[in-house]
Amino acid sequence: MLEIQGLACAYGKIEALREVSLSAKAGEVTCLLGPNGAGKTTLMMTLAGILQPTRGSITFEGENLLGLSPAQIVDRGLALVPENRLVFPALSVRENLMAGAYRRKDRAAIANDIEQQLDRFPRLRERIDQLAGTLSGGEQQMLALARALMSRPRLLLMDEPSVGLAPKVVAEIFGIIRQLHAEGTSIFLVEQNVHMALKVAQHFFLLQQGRVTFSGTPADLAEDDVIQRAYLAGTDHSRTAAAVA
Amino acid sequence: MDFLQRSLDGLLEAGPYALVGLGLTLGFGMLRRVNLAYGAGAMLGAYLGSWLHVRLGWPALVVLPCVVLATALAGLYVQWLCFHDADRSIGTPQRASMTVSGADAREVVALASSFAVWMQLEQLCVNLLPRHLNPFPDFAATHEWTLGTLGLRPDRLGMCLLAVALVLAMTRWMNKSRTGLALRATADHPLAAHLSGLRVPALQRLGFVLACGLSGVAACAVLALEGQVTPMFGMWMLMKGLAAAVIGGLGHLRGVLLGAALLGVVEAHAQALLGPLGRDAATWGLLLLALLWRARSPASVLPGGLHA
Repeated sequence: MLEIQGLACAYGKIEALREVSLSAKAGEVTCLLGPNGAGKTTLMMTLAGILQPTRGSITFEGENLLGLSPAQIVDRGLALVPENRLVFPALSVRENLMAGAYRRKDRAAIANDIEQQLDRFPRLRERIDQLAGTLSGGEQQMLALARALMSRPRLLLMDEPSVGLAPKVVAEIFGIIRQLHAEGTSIFLVEQNVHMALKVAQHFFLLQQGRVTFSGTPADLAEDDVIQRAYLAGTDHSRTAAAVA
Repeated sequence: MDFLQRSLDGLLEAGPYALVGLGLTLGFGMLRRVNLAYGAGAMLGAYLGSWLHVRLGWPALVVLPCVVLATALAGLYVQWLCFHDADRSIGTPQRASMTVSGADAREVVALASSFAVWMQLEQLCVNLLPRHLNPFPDFAATHEWTLGTLGLRPDRLGMCLLAVALVLAMTRWMNKSRTGLALRATADHPLAAHLSGLRVPALQRLGFVLACGLSGVAACAVLALEGQVTPMFGMWMLMKGLAAAVIGGLGHLRGVLLGAALLGVVEAHAQALLGPLGRDAATWGLLLLALLWRARSPASVLPGGLHA
């Protein structure tokens, strides 16, 4: 469904992605793991058309995505739930959802989808007319997810949905990811929370210093000694650092 | 009684101020950058109007739409030249994790280059019509209404009503329409707008040109009461508009009405007590107070986005 070949991306002279090749299959949850600074968010921003790569190719359902504007990429059926939520703080919850469906013209279907999202996230229904900036972190994460779903994406990109959230809220979010997967949504997930990711994903990639250093199933991941040392051992440390930052 | 009459005169002055401030507050709300060429663009439209009116003898009802159109086109030019970069580069991850505010190099460049365009447009006007006073289609009222002992100019009142109607219509459009929602979303968080599939560059351009078009409407209304336009008009628009918009809370559409009323009344009293210089001192004093007050309340230091 999504194919990334030899992708490189740089901020000036600093290369954030060196040589990234990976793919995501339709109907699966694909998870990209990696420590802080590995280039995960850079990859997601490149997929969404915000950043332009220096080399490589991205194809989605056989169609080239390079050079398309972020709006055109949303049109193609990709939607990113960004890291740190990035809701519209001065807009109400309902307006945030409507903004997510901006590219669609079918008013009745949009109203229907809003209802569907409010059924999925009952707490958003309670806060429907509240400004998004006044929501809690967990509620904002749900709103960002609901907003992305409003564009009816065929592939949902999620950038660290668990970051900065209480364990209970994280469990809730991952419950929804499982539910979306069961409904047939394809998901490309970036996560540092390996334990939660293991429960939802069918395929894993590991990104380290701008390169993919592992690709395999959850069983491969558990067996792979390198990952145990390079990543899982450092998990607590990096998460503490993220919390402090 | 003098006090009442002065207050009323000042309050009626709020019409022009609010009209002028509305476009500025909308433009700032969209891009979070002050367009210093704001008054100059409207002045160019007005000079073109005067030229069409005097040289070609076109009737007022044709000239006024031309002024608005020319001002909007001048806005497109200013946006293309000075504010264009705000589009895409905003979305690097480093900026993504911050709220998109605070000064950076692009904002300084936008400010400085819009100052240069201000000078450029003013010079263009002076070359078009070198005289100091240039006739403009005149709609000034010839008589005054009286309310007891108070005098009331009907044309000024009409201008106030126009300002209120325009502000309320803009507010409603911003709150209810699909495009209004997209404009507010873009102003609120450009990166999030990109990710939601909004065509951010086009929307920023639309908001900016709309703001400049509104300044064209303001210029028509103000000049139709004066019956003439001078080379000082661009400066006047920028200063009064900025004062009304800042006092009302930059980016806050309805706040402009409040800012304009406050500015008008304080100016009228300052003029009566201290003369024309006192009037200018009052304008600057109010602007300074508004900025200081805003800087003290951390929540609202130059609030981002549009508030309808």
